[in-house]
Amino acid sequence: MHTCPRCESKEATVVATSPVEGKWEVYLCPVCIFTWRSSEPETITNPEKYKKAFKIDPADIANATNVPAIPERKR
Amino acid sequence: MIYKDFRDFLKKLEEEGQLLNIDQEVMPEPDIASAASAMSNLGDQTPALMFNNINGYEQAKVAMNVMGSWPNHAIMMGMPKNTPIKEQFFEFAKRYDQFPGAVERVDTAPFHEVELTEDINLFEILPLFRLNQGDGGFYLDKAAVISRDVEDPENFNKQNVGIYRMEVKGKDRLGIQPVPQHDIAIHLRQAEERGENLPVAIALGNEPAIVTAAATPLLYDQSEYEMAAALQGAPYKVVKAKDSNLDLPWGAEVILEGEINAGEREIEGPFGEFTGHYSGGRKMPIIKINRVYHRKNPIFEHLYIGMPWTETDYMIGITTSVPMYQQLKEAYPNEIVAVNAMYTHGLVAIISTKKRYGGFAKAVGMRALTTPHGLGYCKLIILVDEDVDPFNLPRVMWALSTKMHPQHDAIVIPDLSVMPLDPGSEPTGITSKMILDATTPVAPETRGHYTQPLDAPLAVEKWEKILTELMNKQK
Ligand SMILES: [Zn+2]
Repeated sequence: MHTCPRCESKEATVVATSPVEGKWEVYLCPVCIFTWRSSEPETITNPEKYKKAFKIDPADIANATNVPAIPERKR
Repeated sequence: MIYKDFRDFLKKLEEEGQLLNIDQEVMPEPDIASAASAMSNLGDQTPALMFNNINGYEQAKVAMNVMGSWPNHAIMMGMPKNTPIKEQFFEFAKRYDQFPGAVERVDTAPFHEVELTEDINLFEILPLFRLNQGDGGFYLDKAAVISRDVEDPENFNKQNVGIYRMEVKGKDRLGIQPVPQHDIAIHLRQAEERGENLPVAIALGNEPAIVTAAATPLLYDQSEYEMAAALQGAPYKVVKAKDSNLDLPWGAEVILEGEINAGEREIEGPFGEFTGHYSGGRKMPIIKINRVYHRKNPIFEHLYIGMPWTETDYMIGITTSVPMYQQLKEAYPNEIVAVNAMYTHGLVAIISTKKRYGGFAKAVGMRALTTPHGLGYCKLIILVDEDVDPFNLPRVMWALSTKMHPQHDAIVIPDLSVMPLDPGSEPTGITSKMILDATTPVAPETRGHYTQPLDAPLAVEKWEKILTELMNKQK
């Protein structure tokens, strides 16, 4: 498990490793769906250096609006 | 002009000197998006980019900026690469009028080479990468998404091919943004009302006719495949999907078949958009991928989108302008000369028109606001005379400088609709709109001193030809 740089959940998992061995891994956070590669700059990979304006509080996710709205079942 | 597949188009670009191979090793981030963004900064004549050596990958190839300049747009149209924009506009309008073209159905396609139905991992199949620093993940933003009308599934014309932003959210999961105004949102609503998943297919790495048709705002029951055929002047080849009755573009590099899960929404974004701002933080539908086919060593085509102008603007500039031109001509066939709605997808549009009488140009502006595209865009309409080329911005500025009288010619209409990605709209989706009439006043409007317009020296056109030839010889 890895720490998500954006929402700081500890639940991110590896979704891909570089075809050429040892170059990088790609992680995905199941809470905020942030995806990053280990070889990216620290402003992306490091929770402390991730841009503040783009941070996500997991508590806010449930309040996000649906686009498009989910229609009522008609049958 | 007809490019049988994506590779055929790339080959033509290369022959024309409009494709640059990058053989040195690049990092997936930030190099590829940086290079594509840099290329957009280098002018409007730039080549496509092919990255052949990407850190961590063995065979991956990534194509960027494929339609990111006027020469590449001209080559897409099968025209000489130095064709002026206005000529490309009129040629596009001519082919648009040939709609519908024919569709040719075949059984197999090059993308059938490799097929996967188990252990699908999009991160392994495609060399995905981040575009902008604030993006929430790796996106597909130049893929054609195909879906059918759920109430009328056999109706070929109601099948939609559109380009929607999609976030890769798992090994076999994508998030999709179907804006309510888009046709796929109609299909999704129908499916969700029934509690059914909506079958979709996603085609990546396409030849340019279907990309262009998919980027053209067509009516709901107009087929993008028939428009692609009209644009390329030859029947358009499609192949059936295996998990649904969707039709797939024959020339694609990669096809993903799947379905949008009914009733499911999940946090998406942000993603840097064509407005030069990020949008996101909303919950959007999810596509589950069930089947993948691709050519061996597929080329991943991606599109850098960010601060305009980028490839997007070249891709949708003329496709946005021509439908508005045709719709205005339906109302005023003898007056409308040309429409340039290329700025931020038509948030600003410039219309060249003749005038029947005083006040006429303003009415043309108001008609533009009520066209289907105008409802969501056209925050500012500029009207210019019939002899002002709306694609020649210095001339448009000249018209604004000399023909517009703010007290009479600047009109603000409060609280009209605009697409919600307009960061200035308040509340979201509502904005005032403005018409600037920079045409010469005609009777009964007699204000100003316009009786002595400057005429060019007599032999200017002849000398344009002579000088162009001399300059070409020098090269
Ligand atoms: Zn997270």
